[in-house]
Amino acid sequence: MSNLSTAEHSAATSSPLLTVKQLRVDLPVAKGTLHAVRGIDFHVERGEMLCLVGESGCGKSMTSLALMGLLPRKAQVNADCLNFDGVDLLTVPERERSNLRGARMAMIFQEPMTALNPAYTLGNQLCEALRRHQRVSRQAAHDRALYLLKRVGISAAEERMRQYPHQLSGGLRQRVMIAMALMCEPDLIIADEPTTALDVTIQAQILHLLRDLQQEFGTAIIFITHDLGVVARIADRVAVMYAGEVIETASAQALFKAPSHPYTQGLLRCIPTPGKTLPGSRLQAIPGVVPSLVGKIEGCAFCNRCDQADERCRTTPPLQAVAGEHFSRCHFAHQLASPAPLNDQEVTS
Amino acid sequence: MWAFVFKRTLIALSVALTISVLCFSLLQLSGDLALSIGGPEATAEQVEQIRVDYGLDRPVIQQFTTWLWGAVQLDFGRSYYYQSEVMDLVVERLPVTMTLGILALAIALGVSIPLGVVAALKRGSWIDRMAMAIAVTGQAMPNFWFGLTLIIVFAVKLQWFPAAGSDSWQGFVLPAIALGYYATPAMMRLTRSGMLEVLEADYIRTARAKGLRTGSVIFKHALRNAVIPVVALAAVELGFMLGGSVVIETVFSLRGLGQLAWNAISRNDYPVVQAIVLIIALFYIVLTLLADILNAVLDPRLRAR
Amino acid sequence: MAQTLSPPAAAAQRPADTWSSRLVRSTLNNRNLTIGLLIITSLGIIALLAPWLAPHDPYLQDTANRMVPPIWHETGSWTHPLGTDRLGRDYLSRLIYGSRISLFIGLVVALISGLIGTTLGVLAGYFGGRVDAVVSYLLTTRLAMPVVLVALAMASLMGGSMLSVTLLLGLLLWDRFAVVARSATQQLRDAEYVQAAQALGCPLPYILLREVLPNIAGALIVVATLEVANAILLEATLSFLGMGVQPPSPSWGLMIAEGKTYMFFQPWVITIPGGALFMLVLAINLLGDGLRDLSAPGGRNE
Repeated sequence: MSNLSTAEHSAATSSPLLTVKQLRVDLPVAKGTLHAVRGIDFHVERGEMLCLVGESGCGKSMTSLALMGLLPRKAQVNADCLNFDGVDLLTVPERERSNLRGARMAMIFQEPMTALNPAYTLGNQLCEALRRHQRVSRQAAHDRALYLLKRVGISAAEERMRQYPHQLSGGLRQRVMIAMALMCEPDLIIADEPTTALDVTIQAQILHLLRDLQQEFGTAIIFITHDLGVVARIADRVAVMYAGEVIETASAQALFKAPSHPYTQGLLRCIPTPGKTLPGSRLQAIPGVVPSLVGKIEGCAFCNRCDQADERCRTTPPLQAVAGEHFSRCHFAHQLASPAPLNDQEVTS
Repeated sequence: MWAFVFKRTLIALSVALTISVLCFSLLQLSGDLALSIGGPEATAEQVEQIRVDYGLDRPVIQQFTTWLWGAVQLDFGRSYYYQSEVMDLVVERLPVTMTLGILALAIALGVSIPLGVVAALKRGSWIDRMAMAIAVTGQAMPNFWFGLTLIIVFAVKLQWFPAAGSDSWQGFVLPAIALGYYATPAMMRLTRSGMLEVLEADYIRTARAKGLRTGSVIFKHALRNAVIPVVALAAVELGFMLGGSVVIETVFSLRGLGQLAWNAISRNDYPVVQAIVLIIALFYIVLTLLADILNAVLDPRLRAR
Repeated sequence: MAQTLSPPAAAAQRPADTWSSRLVRSTLNNRNLTIGLLIITSLGIIALLAPWLAPHDPYLQDTANRMVPPIWHETGSWTHPLGTDRLGRDYLSRLIYGSRISLFIGLVVALISGLIGTTLGVLAGYFGGRVDAVVSYLLTTRLAMPVVLVALAMASLMGGSMLSVTLLLGLLLWDRFAVVARSATQQLRDAEYVQAAQALGCPLPYILLREVLPNIAGALIVVATLEVANAILLEATLSFLGMGVQPPSPSWGLMIAEGKTYMFFQPWVITIPGGALFMLVLAINLLGDGLRDLSAPGGRNE
């Protein structure tokens, strides 16, 4: 399924590329403060593909913007540790931060139709990314841009360099964005739902492309998505987010085999499985709604929708280690990880 | 693109034609031209002679077509007052008005664009409020009064610039300010709102994500897009300024088209008036066309067939 | 499940929330609107009560007291708080009576041009097609004309006077009304209530007057305030150049023209009427801005 050996190997030999401990993002809004991210922990190893999964509003985009330092000024970002390859992102001055952006950590956004400046050619926008960070000649930048365009699967690359964004389709534009992210050979790429706005067939191509590029260039990728299907296809490790918290992290294999949080289990139950889900049966859904992130949340954020909840859930569950690198933020984590065998009736409960 | 230009040119020419018809017919309403040319002292024979000389005894349509035919060849006839060809007078005065207009526009752009950018960047700050205050007060001042006040303050009290005349470049500074300030509020507001809108755009976020420096983001990426409508507006404003120069040139005694028009009007020198109105209208039409072309040039999205 | 009050109880808890009280509240909240309204109302009252407020007859010449400076100079006196002009006429009285001219011309011109422009615009927006093409052509022609020049030329033909200026400007300044009426009508053209009226077989004038007009009135009022200001400035310009209101009328523009020769040593002769013009136009612009904010709340980028 994924290249576990590379990830495990780097984990064993070096410190993580990115370490995030207790990241909090607060936004003042009309009704108070929106706690978009409420203390999340995760890390990214060099060269690995981490998928950040969660539904809309769970804070995954906020996390990515906080990592890049692209949040509006009124947003408050705090963390116990926010370390990128030795650089403390919390205290680094803005000037150095902008040196990092684009060069060492790059970002790809969700909406390719509006992500490029309509007034400049693709070549111009590609090359400026490189020339801002490295002293290269125009020709060298041009050549690299050409190479990357071809590498991301754009035909007639030379001609495309002279074209304007409005002359390309969404899928092509997203490929250009990927090429642009790779211009300076960053160590980390954050891809915020890059395929959500594209057709399913194009989606598959882009996913394939990202996977290949990752393995070729050794770039770590944080892939943000709400689609578990995508996770299954490309992830090395997964972090599941809910209501501004990371509620489970595991290798992709471990997550799908032994989900240890009621929310993750609920998500997986929702996916109809060919062969198992009987035609005509009701599709599963998780009852209830996500709690509002404005104002304080006491205890576990999921407990009002959880069928396992009890008194203990009034206090925020600590991150429990279920197995080696498998963590879950639930009091019932161990029970859920190795459950008693289910019979068929329980599947449809 | 060329079909578009052709169609616009056609409309422009017909508009010019309409204006000249209107102009011409207005003059016919003014009564006996021959009498006013001759003046109160003229005898009946002199008036009759004038009538023949100036072709005023021929049917109106014929007078119009003669004039129109001449106009197409840039021959607007002779001035009733000055003893010379209208075209010569116009050509002599045109540079002054053009200089004034262009300088006024340059000053207006030079003030409104930076002010608009800063106001957008520091939205809600004292600079923003000051810029809006300037916009609001600028639109309320009568330009002739502003011009006179400028003269009092800068020409008389401070003696920095001459009060009248177009001999040196300094003579153009105060009139250009007096002419240009009126366009500043609209252009500043447009720059400001354009910048505010553009700064929210996704491609600005992409630019920042690439690690581009703030200056590059603001000027290369944001302003480049925000300024497109302002440039188009500037072209149109220049047209307005050319038309409105009559007041400023009178106040500052500049020998331009506006002053010529004013003198001609007060002396009933109608060939001159007709010619100037037509010429300025043509300038305006050309400038509006230019504004559309500039829009297409600056915004690649508009160039698609 | 949150507790909700039953409707009657809820209504009883709120203060009387009528249409008019909401209007008053929005007005007071909007600073532009309040200031503009205050200034204009005061000037309007002054203009109306001119015969009682003005200390002297504005036309009365007193050659013994020519060019008396205003009260803030050493030689000024309270008999003539704003001084006198070159013919000894009291400046304050002339200023007060001059407000009548400006306000009258501004309002009447806006009325005339509003009628013309709205009619053309609504017809163009409602019918589209040929009607629209004709009106657009008229608009383009009108816009291409240098207004000041044309107004000057026509004024010299007709002879300058309050009547000729009013008529002239009324016939020339309809363009913005037409543009706004046209685009606003176009937006309404496919609205359901218009289609319903058409389906009912309502006569055309009825549809235009009762369905279309009330809904574009908001935008038109904003344009009207701007055109009043525009007309006032244009009248002042024409009078300044001698082609507008004629002496001895106390038009503010004319007062500036008459004071021009003395402005170097007695700048107040032009500062005072100019300042008055500025204040009036500023107030009208503030009013227009305020009205615009009212009709489009939470306006985009302001």
